[in-house]
Amino acid sequence: MKTVTVPSIIDPSRSYKYIDNGSPKQGGVKDVYFSPDKKYVVAFFRTPLDYNQKDRIRRIVTLYLDNIKKGNAADYFLQDIYRWPYDAVERDGKTGVIVPIYDSRFFFRKGYGANDNIKGGEKVGKWFTAPSFRNKQYPLFLDSTELGDWLSYFQIAISICRGVKKMHQMGLAHSDLSYNNVLVDPVTRSANIIDLDGLVVPGLFPPEVIGTADFIAPEVLRTKHLKLSDTGRILPNQRTDLHALAVLIYMYLLRRHPLRGGKIWDLDAEKDELMAMGEKALFIEHSSDKTNRVKTDQLRKWDVIWGNPEKIPYTITGPYLSELFRRAFIDGLHNPMLRPIANEWETALIKTVDLIQPCSNPSCEEKWYVFDNTAKPACPFCGTPHKGPLPVADLYYKFKDDLWKPEGHRLMVYHNQHLFKWHVSRKIIRNESLGAEDKKPVGYFAYHQHKWVLVNQSLDGMKDLVTQQEIPRNAMVELTSGSKILLSDKEGGRLLYITITNQ
Amino acid sequence: MTRRLLAYFLLDTSGSMHGEPIQALNNGFNGLISMLRSDPQAMDSLHVSVITFDKEVKNIVPLTDLASFQPVEIKCPESGPTHTGQALDMLCDLVKADLVKGSTERKGDWKPLLFVFTDGKPSDLPLYRTAITKIKALDFGMIVGCAAGPKAETSFLKELTNEVVRLDTTDVNTLTTFFKWVSSSIEMGSKSQGTGENMVLPPPPGELIIVV
Repeated sequence: MKTVTVPSIIDPSRSYKYIDNGSPKQGGVKDVYFSPDKKYVVAFFRTPLDYNQKDRIRRIVTLYLDNIKKGNAADYFLQDIYRWPYDAVERDGKTGVIVPIYDSRFFFRKGYGANDNIKGGEKVGKWFTAPSFRNKQYPLFLDSTELGDWLSYFQIAISICRGVKKMHQMGLAHSDLSYNNVLVDPVTRSANIIDLDGLVVPGLFPPEVIGTADFIAPEVLRTKHLKLSDTGRILPNQRTDLHALAVLIYMYLLRRHPLRGGKIWDLDAEKDELMAMGEKALFIEHSSDKTNRVKTDQLRKWDVIWGNPEKIPYTITGPYLSELFRRAFIDGLHNPMLRPIANEWETALIKTVDLIQPCSNPSCEEKWYVFDNTAKPACPFCGTPHKGPLPVADLYYKFKDDLWKPEGHRLMVYHNQHLFKWHVSRKIIRNESLGAEDKKPVGYFAYHQHKWVLVNQSLDGMKDLVTQQEIPRNAMVELTSGSKILLSDKEGGRLLYITITNQ
Repeated sequence: MTRRLLAYFLLDTSGSMHGEPIQALNNGFNGLISMLRSDPQAMDSLHVSVITFDKEVKNIVPLTDLASFQPVEIKCPESGPTHTGQALDMLCDLVKADLVKGSTERKGDWKPLLFVFTDGKPSDLPLYRTAITKIKALDFGMIVGCAAGPKAETSFLKELTNEVVRLDTTDVNTLTTFFKWVSSSIEMGSKSQGTGENMVLPPPPGELIIVV
């Protein structure tokens, strides 16, 4: 056990300390040592890097890091989204990167329900995308305190989208996005993208990996047999990241793989795998081509719920996400240019969160579900029907004078649901750049004395356009079918149109 | 829909393993199970079967998924021969019975993995050699032979596979390191894949010698 000091190769006046106890934590390509104060790790590449690789590391810890620091929401990205390496060192010919330590929420507090085998282990995404670990019949299911609820995975997916969006905006490709490289915590609803030292700068540094099974894009597998020098060979790039991103989102929300269906393409398991994920890849829930449907009688007993798309189809994710899943896995599966970009996923996820309803069954494991646009909504997970009248608020914007047009954005009302500035005004966009002031609720909905009401907390210019009544701060308005409530009389202010269903 | 990955462990329990070596083997093997159980990918697909061989050959753990696996104590007699051939023979029967072959209707298992651990040499050499022919016909995804301790001979294992690991001792540390390496070879498929072609074994830890 000794403490080693290494100077930065970027700025020799800086140095880093780590404790060498002879047995570093071993990752895929790096040996990881902790600093004495546990604030950062020094991760050494086991094999010496070549000139290009070193140059890439140098850019990641200088140019691209500075880029994030100077951009919008720098703290958010550096603390809540990425574990971005911030310096590089060298010792005995080996290059190391300095990476902030993972937050304690990304380590299991309990892990398995039955024993402590994985307590303290990293919460890589795979734990939360496989159906067995949440099935109580499985001998080693994860403790229910680890799993979060369905809403957790929306916030996790939104965080991953923002991370990918930012990288792509900087001109980078991740090239190996997978559940191994994303730590998630369903309890605090957070996600961190890790292992960022392999980022690819298109045209400048070639990727060193083709990705991780389950996430490699079909065109990469289809051309895998070609030589690297062959112009037909497709290596990871931003478009293949978008395939991996779509698969990740699908797996977090639906806990199964979108392409692993019942179709056998070759009797040889490895060839079959290559075809099923590559040239023959086909969505298991394709609307017309049913070739690759899941054979439910062949599912393992602990996969029968989530593994069966007939029980839990992708359409339970609501209209906005369903549309993107179709684009990613039907239109864009073999046509990379048609794949939705990260920003589209982020927007669809956020809009879908506004469609979410709490399940009225207190023992429902998922606790939330997306309103399915039917007159008799029910939780798709536990089957409990919604009780009582259900107000639906559609957002409209002022086109000109008295002409209002729909935003294509719906807000499902539930007891104690909040109203935010991004609902009130077109000028406030709900994203990572919002300041604290803009994240405060401005009103709330409540079921009060057998009536649905909207309470104004801090809006000026709110008005019931049917009764022409002003609704000042700390006043409320009853919601009835046909209610038209102006939220703000300022430019960009929206109107809520209320429909009451399930009556 | 996922395929299963079957891993067979053939463990030498002949008389020479008596004492510290068998303790170390128990330790190492249980450590391996626990390491694999901390990998969600392995948990999702891996099934394990254990055969011990001395003068008797036993399938002490019939094929079971990692989550349902119950720890067992591997025991050995105080003395006696090493019936490696008979163990391979039993392995062939087990694989034939266990392995789900792919059909046009159903996904089969991945190619199975085999790990053979011995501290000596086969006492039933003719049977061993005929069994090797049968094993080769079964198309394993990977066969790793491990010759541990001063009396272990690598030459016989090399007739079975090119992947032979030699361990100088059979103490707890060495076996723990070995099983750690076994664990990372099993997990290899779920790691990032290089732009090169085939799946390769991870480099062995420093204190092991690979016989080529």
